Amino acid sequence: MRPSRREFLQWSAAGGISLSLSRMASAQTPSFLDRETLPGRGVVHPAAGRVDGVAKVTGAKLYASDFRAADLPGWPAETHHALLLRTPDASHVYEGLALDGLDASARPAVIVTAEDIAKIGLRVPAFYTGDLFCPLGKTPLYLGQPVALLLFDRFDAYDRARVFLRDNPHLKFGAETGPIVGPNYVAFRFTRVAGPDPNGPDLYSPIQEGWIRPGFFEGSGRPIWEPLPVAEGGEYVKGANFGTQIRDELAKPAASTLVLDRQFETQSIDPMFLEPEAGLAWYEPDAKKLEIVLGVQSPFEAAEALAHLVGEAQPDFRPAKIDAQFCYVGGGFGGRDHTPFPLYMTLAALYFPGKPVRLAHDRFQQFQGGIKRHAFKMRSRIGVDRATGLITAFAADHELDGGGLANYSPSVAVVGATAAIGMYDVPKVDVTTVALHSRGVTAGSMRGYGTLQTMTALEVLVDEAATSLPLDPIEFRRRNALKVGGRTMTGNPYSVSVRAPEILDKLDAHAIWRDRAAEKTRAKPGVLVGTGVAVAAKDYGTGADCSLGSVSIDAEGRITIHSDSVEMGNGIGTALANRVAGHIGGIADEVTVAQVDVFDELELFKSGDPYSITQEEQDKAAADPRWVPEISSATSASIGAHVGTQAAAEAARILFRFGLWPAALAIWGIAPGDPRAKQHGEAYWQGETLVISGLNPLPLKAIAAKAHAMGGVTGAMTHAFSRWAWAQATFDVAGESWTADIDALALRQGSGEFTRLDRKAVAFPPADYNRIGTSFSSMCGTTLRIEIERATGRLTIAKAYSVVECGEALVPEIVRGQSQGGFAMGVGYALLENLPLYEDGPGNGQWNLGRYVVARASDLPLHDLEVEILPPLSPREPPKGMAEVVMIPVVPALLNAIFDATGHRFQSLPVTPQMIKGVLA
Amino acid sequence: MTALSLTINGRAVGPIEVRDDLSMNDFLREVLGMTGTKFGCGAAQCLSCAVIVDDGGISATRPTCIAPAVDFDGLSIRTVEGHATGGGLTPLQVSFIEHFAFQCGYCTPGFLNEGQVLLERLARDPIPRADLERTITEALDGHLCRCSGYVKYHEAVRAVVLADAGRYLT
Repeated sequence: MRPSRREFLQWSAAGGISLSLSRMASAQTPSFLDRETLPGRGVVHPAAGRVDGVAKVTGAKLYASDFRAADLPGWPAETHHALLLRTPDASHVYEGLALDGLDASARPAVIVTAEDIAKIGLRVPAFYTGDLFCPLGKTPLYLGQPVALLLFDRFDAYDRARVFLRDNPHLKFGAETGPIVGPNYVAFRFTRVAGPDPNGPDLYSPIQEGWIRPGFFEGSGRPIWEPLPVAEGGEYVKGANFGTQIRDELAKPAASTLVLDRQFETQSIDPMFLEPEAGLAWYEPDAKKLEIVLGVQSPFEAAEALAHLVGEAQPDFRPAKIDAQFCYVGGGFGGRDHTPFPLYMTLAALYFPGKPVRLAHDRFQQFQGGIKRHAFKMRSRIGVDRATGLITAFAADHELDGGGLANYSPSVAVVGATAAIGMYDVPKVDVTTVALHSRGVTAGSMRGYGTLQTMTALEVLVDEAATSLPLDPIEFRRRNALKVGGRTMTGNPYSVSVRAPEILDKLDAHAIWRDRAAEKTRAKPGVLVGTGVAVAAKDYGTGADCSLGSVSIDAEGRITIHSDSVEMGNGIGTALANRVAGHIGGIADEVTVAQVDVFDELELFKSGDPYSITQEEQDKAAADPRWVPEISSATSASIGAHVGTQAAAEAARILFRFGLWPAALAIWGIAPGDPRAKQHGEAYWQGETLVISGLNPLPLKAIAAKAHAMGGVTGAMTHAFSRWAWAQATFDVAGESWTADIDALALRQGSGEFTRLDRKAVAFPPADYNRIGTSFSSMCGTTLRIEIERATGRLTIAKAYSVVECGEALVPEIVRGQSQGGFAMGVGYALLENLPLYEDGPGNGQWNLGRYVVARASDLPLHDLEVEILPPLSPREPPKGMAEVVMIPVVPALLNAIFDATGHRFQSLPVTPQMIKGVLA
Repeated sequence: MTALSLTINGRAVGPIEVRDDLSMNDFLREVLGMTGTKFGCGAAQCLSCAVIVDDGGISATRPTCIAPAVDFDGLSIRTVEGHATGGGLTPLQVSFIEHFAFQCGYCTPGFLNEGQVLLERLARDPIPRADLERTITEALDGHLCRCSGYVKYHEAVRAVVLADAGRYLT
């Protein structure tokens, strides 16, 4: 099946703009979609490997930064260029541009400033609230805030200006005002007190009582956490009273209780995806059409955001149609999820009408303007019963530096806070969190999403608790590990497998851990040896996750898959192909991802906010069989395997059950009334051959041909939605009632078109599931041995082992690769990477690699890095997200190993050789 | 302005008038449209922009992001687009795919060029098996990969060497 190009669904009518989102496709062949349909029909590729493998080893145009106007059929040949200028100062009044130093050959044709865009009626989407450009006479809101967009006709002029402006001051500033003070982005308190019976109700929990936030703030914006006895914030008082009791207990512990009270700080870092953000856009004023090419993790959101931006703009700046196309992404790690970059790309095109214009960060600009990981300050207190080694209570206070725009700060704060007790079962928990505005570069989503910070602090604290008791660190963790059915700190259990004990047993038995004492004795002169261990439980999913997918088979048995998930290295295309093959036997040779324009037959629409909708609103809306809480979501939060493949997998299941199986029966000559006709669950695929006991094996190609000849089901298209549980719906398919974890379905018969089926019943997850912090979690543990050169503090990782559980590993080699990559990123975070938050940091435009250090191969134990993937507990256990959890334990394991080697517990990141040398002096 | 001529993937290119300060990376990507060679940092730190320069039978990689295009005048270079010939992938390309060496793939052109240069060097000057892992690490260490953790790149290069040990090892 090949979608007809440019037959786009009108997704929304934001201000009357026809908005379509399509897959970036071929630039050099007449068929626009071919280029990014991988591996591609007729392409010779190795039997093993990723579906995008051949394209990536041959330098094919795949990424947004690869495309120029000449590559796109129908576009003008010449590409023009845009340069975004950002401020390195957020403490003085901005007084304008000083471009006099630019050579005449480097002058822009157009300059766009705050004063210009104020005249055209733009609307900044709520998520990006804040001035797009700093206006004259105001102090910039944050370091790196854009001040102007320069547009150039020729590349040479742009290139000269870029270099000159990078190296020379070009902005005027006036009086010193100090940084802008803004309100905090969010403040929440999560308190849980278990009842006397672990199986009985909690005395208090967020899921019972709702999430609470304080009603009072200091002048600085910091919350006042005391339970003030006044009406405002009354809902808050009940939880705060329980929280205060927990803190009082920790402040005045009984002699039988060990209490540790520690502070921990983490740094800001850059996602450092290797492809800087880039895009290309062309506004045709006569047709009033904006075409835009982007590479983001959240295509649906990006297109909606830019449509909102111009939805009420003046006529010359208001497209009637926006066609947004999305590319493969050169790394993301969260940093391309909800980035403001597309808004500036749009402005560049609108202010250069008729001219295709390219906006592309260089690395200095990416450091200056790209989304960062939040720096955290944390104070944590833990109480442990000395006799049993059980954690009795935990309290923590988190403070995040959110930088200049809110972006994802509120949810990073929540996710970090609700992960603060890691994989442990703690009966009394009280965690406060506040995300603060600052003049720093905006922080947002990044791999680990707050949990990396809070679980690092926790695992270092837990290790110290074990040492203090004293108790073996793994035994201490084992005694406190959450068991299946145990409750998280929001008061709900995980609804997936909980394998903490197994993870700990694996770590305990591993030679790195087992031989730790012996290895110390074998240390070379001048070298300190230490072994560390740590574990993590990481949520996956967001509580409003969507999946769109379709699977089709032609009469030759060739399979085509479409999905809305984005390929950013996570291997989603390969995972889709493998998961679909499990149902229908063949590996697809046409897989397209980041595609949301080929599901129009589902006729989906949404209303309301899936996170705040009431049950009544949801019930009412769900009566329309085309309504869903959300249509498409970002590829983030480790949802690739679990969510990203769900719609295509369910489509494949339906295609088999109602298309291929009836065709196979017909070939075998088995009548519908024959008992064997019901044995579809007994059949299985050996490669592309369908096997069932007692009957002749059938090749897929023959079955597909028969299905087409019969006019049977040859394609299925579905939508799935998860709010910590899948929506389930029932459809009448071929006279049978079919219930599945989807909420919309369309079928194709023979070579016909897809036709939507009305769902006969639907059960969306209850609205109050929004009180759940998470119910999906995967777990990982790491143990590693380090060697420290005493004279220099230089640290070498000698051996490492990580064990991860992720249900069914759809592509084990990709799970292993993600684990190895997570290990490397963990090493960088623990030991190397660091961005000063303010004037000396990346917002000053002077940062690049070299000054910013990420892990290289020589920083890693390349040939002694072992990854073990636990097999699923059952063949029915679905895939679980794992791309984030594999990074987390690496960081505290390193810190715990440093303690083991040096006797010093570092309480901030990164730990550098100079710091280690300092404590050894 | 300088009239630049060079050989790219065996084909003569130029003369083309270019600014003397135009980078080789921009010459490839903006002038020729050959975007297989990537731009990562502009500071010769990540080497996603590295190409192979063939100079008198000796090949080496060079970053293109900080080097003026005119420095390549008269040289013969290879880029990621030039490895596969006649519709067939090289053993190293196949090995990269089969080992799942890359994830996002943005660093792949640089690793591919560096790995190919290493293989050609080992073919000329084989090394003992015991030196293989260290040699691969030293050869590839300048290249940054943010996704993969490097392990599979190294395994992929090693697999090509071991599959033809008589050629690459003493």
